[in-house]
Amino acid sequence: MKRLDYLLINRFLVCCFGLLMPLQLQAQFWPEDIKVHGFLTQNFFHTSDNNVYGQSDDGVSPGLTEIGLNLSYQPFDRLTLSAQGLYRRAGKVDGGVVRLDYGVADLNLFNYQNGRLGIRGGRIKIPFGLYNETRDVAFTNPTIMLPQGIYFDRSRSLLVSADGGSLYADHRTEFGNFSFKFNLGMPLGDNEEIRSAILGPAAKGEFKASPAFATQLSYELNGGETVFAVSYMNLKLKYKPTANDFISAGNTMIRPLLFSAQYNGEKLGLTAEYQYRWNDYRGYTVTPDTQFVTESWYVQASYRFLSQLQGIVRYDTYSSDIDDRGGQRAVRNGLPNHIAYAKDWMVGIRWDITSSLMLRTEYHRVHGTAWLALADNPNQSTTKQDWDLYALQISYRF
Amino acid sequence: MQSLLFKLKRFLCFKAAVASFLIYLFIVPSGNAVEIVVNQSVPIREFSLNNIRAVFIMRQRFWPNGEQIQVFTLADQHPLHKSFSKNQLHMFPHQLRRVWDRIVFSGTGQAPVTLGNEQEMIDKIANTPYAIGYLSRDPDNEKIRLFVNQ
Repeated sequence: MKRLDYLLINRFLVCCFGLLMPLQLQAQFWPEDIKVHGFLTQNFFHTSDNNVYGQSDDGVSPGLTEIGLNLSYQPFDRLTLSAQGLYRRAGKVDGGVVRLDYGVADLNLFNYQNGRLGIRGGRIKIPFGLYNETRDVAFTNPTIMLPQGIYFDRSRSLLVSADGGSLYADHRTEFGNFSFKFNLGMPLGDNEEIRSAILGPAAKGEFKASPAFATQLSYELNGGETVFAVSYMNLKLKYKPTANDFISAGNTMIRPLLFSAQYNGEKLGLTAEYQYRWNDYRGYTVTPDTQFVTESWYVQASYRFLSQLQGIVRYDTYSSDIDDRGGQRAVRNGLPNHIAYAKDWMVGIRWDITSSLMLRTEYHRVHGTAWLALADNPNQSTTKQDWDLYALQISYRF
Repeated sequence: MQSLLFKLKRFLCFKAAVASFLIYLFIVPSGNAVEIVVNQSVPIREFSLNNIRAVFIMRQRFWPNGEQIQVFTLADQHPLHKSFSKNQLHMFPHQLRRVWDRIVFSGTGQAPVTLGNEQEMIDKIANTPYAIGYLSRDPDNEKIRLFVNQ
């Protein structure tokens, strides 16, 4: 039955695309001031061990599909309304439903010769690092899998978008442009993967987020040739035990601080991001109150051999506790030590067949299992420390 | 001594050849003419590079008189678009694409309207108040004015 649902939704979305594209071309049927854009991405994964996005070990998993459609309309000069529907099916983590990814009213309050100030309200994408706001849009991502140490797919429900408000400001100077965002909102629900990452697979109660803030300051030189950014978030989660739960009602605070730097040259691209994240778990009976720091960073280089052909290489590393990089705590809990870290070397090729069709492939050599999703790997004891991942992606956008 | 001088001369000659080759590579192709044009209703005649960039990356949305700027571009691969990005904005088309995709797919703005060819650009600029775009030459159209990038 569930399978049938996917098929129906898939067909429905394909129909929507089929209907909308000609509409976009024939402007007489579609008001010119409503802008429509969308994307459709299908990914395939194969791993030597461990599973990503479904059963990828000993097979090929087509388990990651992303389809988005957005509309934007400006009823008045200073007011823009935009919304995007997103269908995402991701292995056993996300069964495949259509969600409102964002739905924003953007009010431009004040403009001056060198900048602007405005507010946004509704469901807003969370600014975090270089890629989070468009993390599901393949065309905007450097690789099929974003560096998982920072763009942890397991914690995506906290990072995707939040219901609330945002203040934004841009200021341009002779020596670069500054832009600032401050978002306050309620992160979207479904935190099961985060719950299992923090409290283990046996936790069954609700893990509920409180209103959180996210802020980002970025500085761009030469129209984005060089970009620097600092992002910070303050996330709180409360565990609501079920009846007879062996875990008590506790609180989790997660405060990531992320530094980003990027160079976008004509041919060469260089990117690095460094995350320092404070974690604070209190009031859980299963673990003593604990505070620890998670660290993750990556460096990435890309080169455009031809205007449509790019090669990319990256090293990404993650330590869930900088005072226990070897994972001794996991061993004490009867789990393999390699769930505490992950180091990932990757190489990939991207081919932009046309400006709206892209094909790419990549290979990862991973040491550690820290970012594997529990839903796809229910038995952590049987996961392997050293493994290979191959991915293929085809993406269309308009 | 003589041979050292000779070597030095030869080296300088070689350097000059390399330099002229590089000049040929970078200067000659960028000689492709491209002019920024606006609809005659636009209240100003010039902008700084910084402001022009801000207009095309959709950060500066209004003319000084408060009217909204209507931005038109050609497709990423269009030779005129490439030459416009490089010579007028001193940016690469893929940098513009990065910025536009980001705003379109995060719900934080709209991308410029992409037109099919230069003739469409002429028609749009001529018939859209407060429009800005680019052309390979002055179209000699009374509704279109050249815009100066300081």
